[in-house]
Amino acid sequence: MSTLGKYNRSVSIIGVGCTPFMYTVDHPETDGLTEGELFGYAALKAMEDAGVNPRDVDFYFHGEASPLNGSNYLTPNVQVANWFGMKGKGSIHHSEACCTGYLAIEQAVNAVASGKYNCVLTGAVEFGDSTPSPADNVESPKHPYKRDKMTMEKFLKTTSWLYDRTYTRSLMAGQELIYDDAAEWYVRTRGITAEQMNDALNWMCINNRRNASVNPLSLEKRTYESLAEEAGMTLDEYMNSPYNPKMGDYLRAGGVELKCDGAAAAIVCATEMVPVIAKNLKHRPIQVLGIGSAACEATTPHFEVRATEEAVRQVYELTGMSGDDLDLFYANDFIITSHLVSAEIAGYLPYGEGWKYICDGRTAWDGDKPINTNGGRTSFGHAHAASGLADVYEACKQLWGECGEHQVKKQPKTAMLRGYGGAQNVAAVLLRTIDQQEV
Amino acid sequence: MMSIQLEKVVQTFYEGLEEGKILGRKCPLCGNVEFPPVYACNQCGNYETQWYEISGKAKLHSIVLPAALSSKPEYKNLGKYAYGEVELEEGSRLNAVVRGISKKNRKELSAKLPLNCHASIFQREGGYKTVVFDLDQEQ
Repeated sequence: MSTLGKYNRSVSIIGVGCTPFMYTVDHPETDGLTEGELFGYAALKAMEDAGVNPRDVDFYFHGEASPLNGSNYLTPNVQVANWFGMKGKGSIHHSEACCTGYLAIEQAVNAVASGKYNCVLTGAVEFGDSTPSPADNVESPKHPYKRDKMTMEKFLKTTSWLYDRTYTRSLMAGQELIYDDAAEWYVRTRGITAEQMNDALNWMCINNRRNASVNPLSLEKRTYESLAEEAGMTLDEYMNSPYNPKMGDYLRAGGVELKCDGAAAAIVCATEMVPVIAKNLKHRPIQVLGIGSAACEATTPHFEVRATEEAVRQVYELTGMSGDDLDLFYANDFIITSHLVSAEIAGYLPYGEGWKYICDGRTAWDGDKPINTNGGRTSFGHAHAASGLADVYEACKQLWGECGEHQVKKQPKTAMLRGYGGAQNVAAVLLRTIDQQEV
Repeated sequence: MMSIQLEKVVQTFYEGLEEGKILGRKCPLCGNVEFPPVYACNQCGNYETQWYEISGKAKLHSIVLPAALSSKPEYKNLGKYAYGEVELEEGSRLNAVVRGISKKNRKELSAKLPLNCHASIFQREGGYKTVVFDLDQEQ
């Protein structure tokens, strides 16, 4: 149990950038894209969005979940600086696997709040769908830009690297419980039936996909309604058919991430320095109010639940806020159950009632309790390290009212992002738009 | 007086299994048992723990059945099994495999949670043994 202290000075996100999430090797126009090109695009877009020049940025944080496997790099931060005008600047690489993009904000905010830097870039890139060619092993010499598709079978082999080699892999249960533990916990503690859980899981997929269908950056835009129609089925029939097979005890295929390629970045600045540094500022700064964090190794029972409870407790204790203060919620839902479980733990949805909100479509982008307005990991896509910053991108755009066709109905002011990943790190990031008079 | 030791805890644990012993580590200050064994006490923060043979008696608090994503071909040797939260008699809780649970008896067993079970030593492919749990005959 940790108690968070207040930052030494206010820190804000002032610009964001994000590539489309995509299967690069599947399309001639994206096949051959490299790490520098993806990270560089996201970084420059974030700088443009913030109205800053690369020379104004003091330092950058670089996230990539699996750099040796995905990029054949040990120090991926060093290899990309020249692409966005920061040659020679200091940087650091970090990986917390699927939680990287959320802790990317944590690291950047801490660096600025301490007073060491006034303005930093924090970005992440991942090729979750391909590896440098030839994809035989990490030791063989690689082509400068060609990549080979990474099969799900190979990907699942690399995910074993997320788990403790000494005990957890040997005991077998920790790494396998990631798929269904949260669903079992929810069913047992809320007293709902397996059928009701099945409906909730399906509706999270449907809502995520509806959100992605109107987001230009998302990977998969075909709604489940349209897929059901094509198959000559009702939506309910389709979601419970072999088109959406059971892959876990509760989990169906539609509730599993779409691993893909992408990058995202944000510019993080001391709020007091914004008028000096961001001379072409386009939006109101979004203050990072606090970030709770916890990590439970996979042998810990109900690791996701326990770590989320602790991270949320920390940030609410720090800020005096509660779920009632949240206008928007994002959950890293590479296993879609996360979406329901974390929203209830954060108090964004009422205890034991969240599954009904989901089944009624109230958590879609146009509902009164929007969750994962970009489409989440099962539809926006999951470029592992970059996903958290893609959620930061979406949250900021929603808070700025810049989401166009999928702008939520009531202008939001406060958002929580629940990061999760890396067997298992959890972060609870609380963001709030600064009022005009506070700038 | 104890002192912090650079010690082969992992190897000792696995060698213990070869001899039929299931070893954890007990905190001399607060009595907490760490299982699987590690250096420090995660309950009170004491730097050191001491070897302790666990009784093997335990309770199962949750049941998740294996499926396509959550099983591997080599798990076949387990027979019918589930994953769940196991609480050792000594108080430690961990995620573990529990044998004797299947689709057939899952509903009946879920209604009776927590269930009594006990630790067993299981031969893994790869030339080492590990710990799984078996449901007690008497509940």
